[in-house]
Amino acid sequence: MLKMTHLSKVYRTEVVETYALRDFNIDVKEGEFVAVTGPSGSGKTTFLTIAGLLETFTGGEYHLDGVEVSHLDDNARSRIRNEKIGFIFQAFNLIPDLNVFDNVEVPLRYRGMKAPERKQRIMDALERVGLASRAKHYPAELSGGQQQRVAIARALAGSPRLLLADEPTGNLDTQMARGVLELLEEIHREGATIVMVTHDPELAARAQRNVHIIDGQVVDLAEDPRFHTAYAAAAGQVRG
Amino acid sequence: MQISPILAALRYHKAGVVLIAMQIALTLAIVCNAMFIIHQRLVRMDKPSGVEESGLLVVKNEWAGKPATGQIASLMAADLDTLRKMPGVANVYATNTYPLSNGGFANGIGHSPDKRNYVSVTAVYFSDENTLSTLGLKLVEGRNFNADEINGLGDNDKIAPAVIIVTRELARRLYPDGSALGKTAYISNEPSIIIGIVDRLQIPWVDNSMARWADCSTLLPFRNLVTITHYLIRTQPEEIEDVATRVRATLYATQRLRVIRPKDGVKTFAQVRAAAYKSDRGMAILMGVISVILVATTAAGIVGLASFWVGQRRKQIGVRRALGATRQDILGYFLTENLLICMAGVVLGGLLAIGLNLWLMKQFEMERIAPGYVLAGVAMLLLLGQCAVFAPAWRASHVPPVEATRSV
Repeated sequence: MLKMTHLSKVYRTEVVETYALRDFNIDVKEGEFVAVTGPSGSGKTTFLTIAGLLETFTGGEYHLDGVEVSHLDDNARSRIRNEKIGFIFQAFNLIPDLNVFDNVEVPLRYRGMKAPERKQRIMDALERVGLASRAKHYPAELSGGQQQRVAIARALAGSPRLLLADEPTGNLDTQMARGVLELLEEIHREGATIVMVTHDPELAARAQRNVHIIDGQVVDLAEDPRFHTAYAAAAGQVRG
Repeated sequence: MQISPILAALRYHKAGVVLIAMQIALTLAIVCNAMFIIHQRLVRMDKPSGVEESGLLVVKNEWAGKPATGQIASLMAADLDTLRKMPGVANVYATNTYPLSNGGFANGIGHSPDKRNYVSVTAVYFSDENTLSTLGLKLVEGRNFNADEINGLGDNDKIAPAVIIVTRELARRLYPDGSALGKTAYISNEPSIIIGIVDRLQIPWVDNSMARWADCSTLLPFRNLVTITHYLIRTQPEEIEDVATRVRATLYATQRLRVIRPKDGVKTFAQVRAAAYKSDRGMAILMGVISVILVATTAAGIVGLASFWVGQRRKQIGVRRALGATRQDILGYFLTENLLICMAGVVLGGLLAIGLNLWLMKQFEMERIAPGYVLAGVAMLLLLGQCAVFAPAWRASHVPPVEATRSV
């Protein structure tokens, strides 16, 4: 579904080159629920923005749903984002000027979908996240958890092949976070491929697979003595 | 087209929307009327006087010492003789006034001596047998005055011309069903026979209030034997400057007891025209400048507001891009948003333009504005709006999708 091979991302200024990702390799199979963890500045978000075609990469290869994306033009990348990827952001990123219905409708409009089909999909998605009754409410009238549910509905409405979540519970309290996580697990059980960036070990532990990024590279924590103790402790806490 | 979400979003920016729409509305209302006024003034300035203006010189002569009527007659005859002999002069005559002079007098003219039943108002030009050729008037029917038909007219003499020459427009008004030639008209208590019809001769005044009879002029066969006389001199066009330079000295050489003011005693007809339409030209320039300033201010307002909104909505634009919007979608969003605001503005502005015109009609005798001006104004402002918003919209379309992941 998502395969990056020897991928690199370099930010260049006149005096310095900074590698955000270096020789980065990852392969996410269809239907997997992968948690990507790592310390701040490790390259998690850069990985997610490249995976979601929000920005380009410097070297290597990236195949998304079997398509090599490095040579796609801006319009083609927009079309893939619209049709194949659903985004869930930490800050929800709802459009404050639009009500819940109109927010969920945004990606469907860019797809050129007819109004009756749009309406059906929107209401289905809102039903699924339990917010059909709030369709005419504005984001400011909803709690953080409800806003994130709307964002999930917006991501789901277009029936994406891949769901990318960037710290989806980062701005929520424990109870709301649990609700959002349960919703993601339910979506995964129904067959969706989910890649979730998080630094929350509990959240990561509930994913099917964990990928850890350090200094722009994927590392195997179990085989790296530098991180063994911390990883084991975190895993133990979760299991305990 | 995503009009409904744009309208929904605009409700959250009411203040900016209302301000820009009002600015567009006021600009449209003022610019439409300003353009209409400019057009009216240009049309008025472009109106043909009927006179062959190039090569025509005007000398205003004022006799000093209050000479008697008989003395003025002989002095004037001497002047005309002198002027006619000047090198470069083709013809000359003396008159009370001339087109575009903004002075003179008018009278009612009709089919009876009863002034209450006049058919039209007419400007009265004292003329002689040289008037037509000096002014370059085109005689379309009848004949010119004969020299023996010209009489002197002192301050206290009664105006009762036996024959008159009228303009084609005045002839049409007097006798709409047939030729006026040879017919009778009353410009005084005595009947006058119309012996000639000239194609066109504008009245001395250019005010809008007199526009209805601007081409109704009558030539009377009189030589005005009063203190102030105007000599109209036909020169060879290439010699007009030379004649203008010498004419004052030449007349003073024949008789010193006169005043020909150095500043404006001698004028070319081009100067006469420029002076007559000075206020029209000034008004047209003023209206033009106001319109340009208003349009520029409105364009700047649109650019400013759109730029502000783009800056304010960078994150939102990034989110839209992340959700699949192409650059064209974002460009189209801002152009459509601007078009909707401009459309609200021009609808209101169209009504305001008509209202302002009605008020101007009532207060300043302005004519009714042609619908084309409002429609042209609407098209211009919609186009202006789209041009003004294009650069900010273009910048918005180049906000990268990764902006969605950045914290504000």
